[in-house]
Amino acid sequence: MGLKNINRRGFLKLMGWSGVGATVAGCDMPTTVTLEEGKETVTSYLVPEEYAIPGIGVWYSSTCRQCPAGCGLHGRVREGRILKLEGNPDSPINAGKLCQMGQAGLQGHYNPDRLRTPKVRKDGKLVDITWAEALDLIDQHVGASSGLNGARFAWVSDSVSGHQAMLIDNLMSALGSKNLFIHEVVNSEVARSVNQAVLGDATPRYQIGKAHAILSIGNDFLGTGDSPVHASTEYTEFRSSPRGVLGVVEPKMTLTGANADLWMAIRPGTEGVFALSVANVLATKHKMAIDMLPKAIQTAIMKRNLNEDARLTGVSGNHVIRVAKWLSSNPGRSIVMVGGTAEGQVNGYQNGVAAMVLNVMLGNVGKTIVASHEFPFPQLEHRAGGTAGLLDFVKAIDNGGLDVAFFSGANPVYTAPAALGLKDKLASIPFKVSFTQFDDETSQLADLVLPILSPMEDWATIVPKVQGEEAVISMQQPVMEPLYADTRGLGDIVLDLLKKRDGATYGNYDSYYAYLSQAFASFPANMAADGKAVTWNDALAKGVIAVKTGEKQLKAKLDQVAVALPEENAEYPLTLIPTPRLGLWDGRHANIPWLQEAPDQISKVVWDSWAEIHPNLAKQLGVETGDAIKITSAQGAIDVKVYVFKGIHPDAIAVPLGQGHKGYGRYADGRGVNPLEILDTATVDGTNELALYSTRVKVEKARNKDTLVMMGDHDVQMGRKMVSTVTPDVFELTGGEA
Amino acid sequence: MSLQNLLQDWSRYRRGREEGGFHNYEHMWGMSIDLNLCIGCNACSVACYAENNLAVVGKDKYEKHQAMHWMRIERYWDEPDLGEGRVSEYQQHGASFLPMNCQQCNAATCEPVCPVAATYHTPDGLNAQVYNRCIGSRYCSNNCPYRLRYFNFYSYYEDSWPEPLNLQLNPDLSVRDKGVMEKCTFCIQRIRVAKDKAQREHRVLQDGEFTTACAQTCPTSAIVFGDMLKMYDPNSTNPSSKVIELWEKHQVELGVTEQEKHNPKIRGYRVLEHLNTDPCIMFLDRVREV
Ligand code: SF4
Ligand code: SF4
Ligand code: SF4
Repeated sequence: MGLKNINRRGFLKLMGWSGVGATVAGCDMPTTVTLEEGKETVTSYLVPEEYAIPGIGVWYSSTCRQCPAGCGLHGRVREGRILKLEGNPDSPINAGKLCQMGQAGLQGHYNPDRLRTPKVRKDGKLVDITWAEALDLIDQHVGASSGLNGARFAWVSDSVSGHQAMLIDNLMSALGSKNLFIHEVVNSEVARSVNQAVLGDATPRYQIGKAHAILSIGNDFLGTGDSPVHASTEYTEFRSSPRGVLGVVEPKMTLTGANADLWMAIRPGTEGVFALSVANVLATKHKMAIDMLPKAIQTAIMKRNLNEDARLTGVSGNHVIRVAKWLSSNPGRSIVMVGGTAEGQVNGYQNGVAAMVLNVMLGNVGKTIVASHEFPFPQLEHRAGGTAGLLDFVKAIDNGGLDVAFFSGANPVYTAPAALGLKDKLASIPFKVSFTQFDDETSQLADLVLPILSPMEDWATIVPKVQGEEAVISMQQPVMEPLYADTRGLGDIVLDLLKKRDGATYGNYDSYYAYLSQAFASFPANMAADGKAVTWNDALAKGVIAVKTGEKQLKAKLDQVAVALPEENAEYPLTLIPTPRLGLWDGRHANIPWLQEAPDQISKVVWDSWAEIHPNLAKQLGVETGDAIKITSAQGAIDVKVYVFKGIHPDAIAVPLGQGHKGYGRYADGRGVNPLEILDTATVDGTNELALYSTRVKVEKARNKDTLVMMGDHDVQMGRKMVSTVTPDVFELTGGEA
Repeated sequence: MSLQNLLQDWSRYRRGREEGGFHNYEHMWGMSIDLNLCIGCNACSVACYAENNLAVVGKDKYEKHQAMHWMRIERYWDEPDLGEGRVSEYQQHGASFLPMNCQQCNAATCEPVCPVAATYHTPDGLNAQVYNRCIGSRYCSNNCPYRLRYFNFYSYYEDSWPEPLNLQLNPDLSVRDKGVMEKCTFCIQRIRVAKDKAQREHRVLQDGEFTTACAQTCPTSAIVFGDMLKMYDPNSTNPSSKVIELWEKHQVELGVTEQEKHNPKIRGYRVLEHLNTDPCIMFLDRVREV
């Protein structure tokens, strides 16, 4: 086995299982799966009897990689082709369901614009190269004899977890570098840091299904939250009898807002004022105790004045009173959630703290909001990220510079605001490697572009961003053979690089697959939730492994809250909301034709960008739906058609994320605009995250009617009974749902 | 032959109207869609694209209303009347979402107008489309009050699935060519597989053994699909189902024009049922605090 020189603890660490109380059963190194056997199993899923019975579909478990939520998949394979994806009913994340991005994972895999061969840049042009040459080239720059200074190496990645995260970490430490920058535009980093500071837990579980009243302050949990499908499955319980009530306050209507009982438009940046205003009504009108709060916060609450606050926030006092009534009748059974537009303000952190004040007053902490599971394998934990990763990367270039940069999953050249000047700064990095399935804006500037396997072809272990009832490791296995012989898995590439650095440790593993199967052969039996040994085959068949977790308790610790108002800006009176979408997400799915043709849930626009504005603003500008406007910030301007509707505050203007690609394939290129380009680079006070929803802009009419293609001719039902609406008392007549 | 089919369909349907009940049906597939649960996320629609080889037509053809979305999520902005002519400045109660796929009308207005009987009713209670017989007159689509039929104006296979996207196509059903009409089939290929399997195993098809692509993926489980025959044919050996339970609870019945609800407040209704199309999809009222 070649493992003689590793002791048992070292071995568990190498396999990812080191952590609380993990032990290998018995005293021998696992010998149940040898690498030779491993190889057999690799081919066994290709054996014709099982794999290609003409006309019979075979189902394989895997994990969705379209967003960081980590939903479990079942993939239907026939004649060696993956045809359809469904949710894995055994996954506590998604209980058999998938969102539209998950469904469309197939069109990423079969995308005609996938890269097929490794390429190197020669005289400005990309030319073919072999994998051996490519790896040698990398070795020249980062290998043991390269003289690489770890501080001058950086890796920009999307969120990662499981064994590939661990191997990346190991490679980083082998290279002596701390510069692993996780970058996600759609993130919850500010809310997570509030959670960490107040509750001592960055990822508590908001048990939507257990709540009877939810107030979302900018948190689009059904659409672009941390785990959209998980939240939606819980929503079913929330809306079943006795039906929970949902209030949403945000500057622009999200999918979650579209499902609110009461949707309230708020002036961006005043969310903290709103939250304290609700707290004030709870304390004064409903006589709810506030003495558990520190004096400073009590004073801040009592200082609020309903009418004055209504003037500041734009949310009417009546609505504040209604929300307070819902919350006060559900102490310990309500949830106040903050996110998205509320956290992405310069004062976003304080907005989050103000929301947490409500949860503490309502006694929700420990009831509807519970501690995350203590995940037993810290090496495998989910590494979430936000825009701090991007800013840190830029800083690393600015301070001292970088010699080598790797990119995987993230496309920072597309997602970085132009004001960061990233494109030019990248030119100062002599060697840039992009591990990618597609040509994108970042790989266009890379020196080496290496085509990786799609998630339908590759192995991985995924630890979901937010766990459900039980904590799981979700298995990703190939559901078909690679479409292109000359592509490789990211895990394999990292392993190869590690072998070059540390042959003694990693030389034993022929492939990432061999490494993973070996890891599962040594899965510490005492760490499975059911106490049973986990076999590789069972893990793959079921798709998820529930692990034993430690108990944690939440304890709220608040000291003060300081809600500041956004600054007046006469030159740029409006606030730009670059809206993430459950669909194109942050732009990574813009090359998927199904998702381009899927109408936006709110505007119903397809294949394009648009700007949402309130009818009052439209009147002021003299525009109607389909006319084009020019949106100008201090950083630049974009030209976009408008969609006029009443789901937005008149002081806000929303432009969806995802379009405006230049170099992301035939389905993405040349459509619409990318609002991230004109963002300011102000950060959220107290964090290193971009204040994504705080850029101030001005607008003017640009052109008359252009084509804005959308589904449906009518925005109203013209008196027909298409969607009939009743009140909750009628709903309860039948005891709600069956 | 086709005329014979048509006449058979109608005599089967009329017998039900005259004598009550259903006669000579194997199944009566139906749905319930709960608008209290539907969040308008569109997962069902994309699942349908994946399952049923629906063509992506692109922006220009989309603009000409040539999109092929068998399942589409309509979105309405109607706000409740606040009285005194007051209209709210905002979209205070969110959006009204309506997932619309073929309502599988038992008195399908699309059927009798087809000059070649390319669209007809199956003994499963489905409104079926025979692609090979369709001559593209488009009368049916003109006559569908819900606008749920989609016409192939082009040979979409020429550019909707550039290689290797074509490898994803579901081999259990065809890719339609220019000149034929298509629409939601209640995933008839899944029905066929499940029926065949049950038959091979000499047993009756169980409720929940399979479902349609839209219902399977729906993150909030708003869509429930199943067989409703037992509700109308007490002699049927088909099992009862979740759909029957829901239709009964919400007092919606097939075969009537105006529902006689002993409690009119109960939530079920069928869209445009006053047109006497007798749809097999029941919706449950959306619910909002006002
Ligand atoms: S929520 Fe994320 S992980 Fe789940 S199906 Fe959708 S894209 Fe995939
Ligand atoms: S998948 Fe379900 S919740 Fe989403 S739009 Fe369709 S019916 Fe509604
Ligand atoms: S919904 Fe339209 S297409 Fe479907 S059966 Fe009814 S009339 Fe025919």
